[in-house]
Amino acid sequence: MENLAATSAAGVLLDLSGVLILLLAFACLASKLFNRYVVYYGAQSVVLSFAAATAAVAFRSVELWILAVLTLAIKGLAIPLAARRLLVTRLALKRDAAMSTGLSTSLIAGGALTAFAYLVTRPALLPHGTVAAAVVPLSTAVILLGCLSMVVRRHTVAQLIGWLIVENGVFLGAITLVATFPFIVEAGIFLDIVAGVLIMVVFVSGLTRQLAEASAAELRELRG
Amino acid sequence: MTALAILVALGPLTGPAAALAGARARLAGVAQAAGAVVAFGCSLALLATLDGGRPLYAWDGFLYVDALGGFFVMTVAAVTLLAAVGSISYVAAQEDDGELSGFQVRLYYSFFGLFASLMLAALETGNLGLLFVLIEASTLASAALVGLEGRARSLEAAWKYVIISSLGVTIALAGTLFLFYSGSGLHLGSNLGLTWPYLVAHAGALAPQSLRLAFLLAVVGYGTKVGLAPMHTWLPDAHAEAPSPASAMLSAALLNTGMYAIIRFLAIAHGRLGSTYPRAVLLSFGFASIIIGALFMVRRGNFKRLFAYSSVEHMGIIAVALGFGGVLGLYGALLQTLNHALAKAVLFLSSGDVSLRYQTREATRVRGLLTAVPVTGGALLLATFAVLGSPPFGLFLSELTIVRAGFASASPVFPLLLLALLGLAFVAFARTTAGMVTGSPPDRLASPYRSRTAVAVTAAPLVLGLAALLVLGLWIPIGLDTVLRHSIVVIGL
Repeated sequence: MENLAATSAAGVLLDLSGVLILLLAFACLASKLFNRYVVYYGAQSVVLSFAAATAAVAFRSVELWILAVLTLAIKGLAIPLAARRLLVTRLALKRDAAMSTGLSTSLIAGGALTAFAYLVTRPALLPHGTVAAAVVPLSTAVILLGCLSMVVRRHTVAQLIGWLIVENGVFLGAITLVATFPFIVEAGIFLDIVAGVLIMVVFVSGLTRQLAEASAAELRELRG
Repeated sequence: MTALAILVALGPLTGPAAALAGARARLAGVAQAAGAVVAFGCSLALLATLDGGRPLYAWDGFLYVDALGGFFVMTVAAVTLLAAVGSISYVAAQEDDGELSGFQVRLYYSFFGLFASLMLAALETGNLGLLFVLIEASTLASAALVGLEGRARSLEAAWKYVIISSLGVTIALAGTLFLFYSGSGLHLGSNLGLTWPYLVAHAGALAPQSLRLAFLLAVVGYGTKVGLAPMHTWLPDAHAEAPSPASAMLSAALLNTGMYAIIRFLAIAHGRLGSTYPRAVLLSFGFASIIIGALFMVRRGNFKRLFAYSSVEHMGIIAVALGFGGVLGLYGALLQTLNHALAKAVLFLSSGDVSLRYQTREATRVRGLLTAVPVTGGALLLATFAVLGSPPFGLFLSELTIVRAGFASASPVFPLLLLALLGLAFVAFARTTAGMVTGSPPDRLASPYRSRTAVAVTAAPLVLGLAALLVLGLWIPIGLDTVLRHSIVVIGL
């Protein structure tokens, strides 16, 4: 599967999806509204599920079809809807003010990280001309952008979305790099993500109740 | 044998079952301890039947226990047993005080048992993907324990813990992915391509470039769980804010589970890349952790944070020992794992008793422990010496082995640096705990326990743990020696 040519129809579609996913990660990094974070994450997951479906067609794999449906249902719909209702609406979150850098600085840093991702994953790691060689740098960049938005954003909800973007980046890499990850493992990862989001929602709500503003910047009690 | 392995992982679920059935703190605690006894007994039986010979292999490698896995299962089960017994009186006293509501008690036992059970299961799988899934799940279960008290501080610690660890483990997943990819030339099929015994047997045919990346990502990712510097930042907060028996579980069981995952990756990486690259990675992270741990121990303050930084330091020592490699290095690393687990369990459990009696976690406000509570004070003092590596306790022996391994395999700079840092850690740590046990106690110290039995139950795990440490310092039981030697063969460095 790692030998799928970049020029085949499926290869082009996967490449395109990868680019879209990266752009959506940038969009998330560039926005300041909690609503947008959730929307961009949802859109990213929908594109990811499309990529999984493309891979499923190319490899004639039933497991990848199930994965695509799961991605669409859980990451594309359930998590964004739940995050919107339980966090953004209920906690009346609008503008995210808790950023440690300005938007333009974080975008420039994001661009640098993308270039870095290409630098580290290109040489000698992946066979030339395969779709993996095209998409793995993209997915690495998505992972780094997710990490970046966790670092520059100090709000708990923004950090949660950042983690989910990292997770999407890993999945994108998984689809193109190793299409045949054992299904039990994939299902377990999904279960972990759902449980993780649930428990994080509980903590975020609890913290918001405790503090006037659930901004990790104000979490200063524990140091050293 | 399969039944034994399953029973080990399912044993600790008695606590959650009792809690969900609505039991109060004492009953749920006893149920949890009974389950932990079952798990520990089964883990010993499992080790005995393994006998180092053929590993247990079932369900396409999703269940796989060899000597190394069996050794870690035994360690975690022992810690679970100590912490479960320690929980009985601690949680009951908190419930009587009104510090914890009935709901929180049920929450505690639900997640305590689940946490233990997930860790034991993680140690019994040969599939590296499932290993990731179970370790991430155990993070989530333990995050609930960290945030249990529901105050702003504990929620903050829990948030920090869950977000940093989840991110770390996700990076380990990326590492697992690259490992799987590095083996794609083997055509092993999807399950086998992630199954450890197959990967290690075919290590020579793995693609070196992606294997390098895989190993580095795995050390960074699982190292976040282990608390290797600079990914350790969640650790002191989580250990300080969790209820003390849960801190014992975090420090003595969870960190070891993460280290176990790193050892599995190390064995594969070593099989293909030789010793230079893995050694460089492990020595860097190891020494960074020892330095950070030792430096932050100098600060006086919350004694549970002190113990937490000591865990960072000890995980660093184990990473350094793995980096030294060779039979001596691995023997020392594994022995250190067991000894540190026992000593840290005793320390955190005695810190639970101290914080119940003195109503504080600040070291400067605790005085005269030896006079006021001789058993706990004595245990704290002895465990302090044990954890700092003074004879006649087990850690002396294991740290000596590690230093010897360093002289045997690497440049003498490393073991000398290690010795110097151990000396710094000794002074920093003992300075604080010596102040706690000596002096005259405050006038009125109300006992938090309702009965003499509860006091005895509090003392039991402390005495048991110290006795085991003392035995391990004087004499390594033949069975344990065999298991350690077989584990070294399994790792194969």
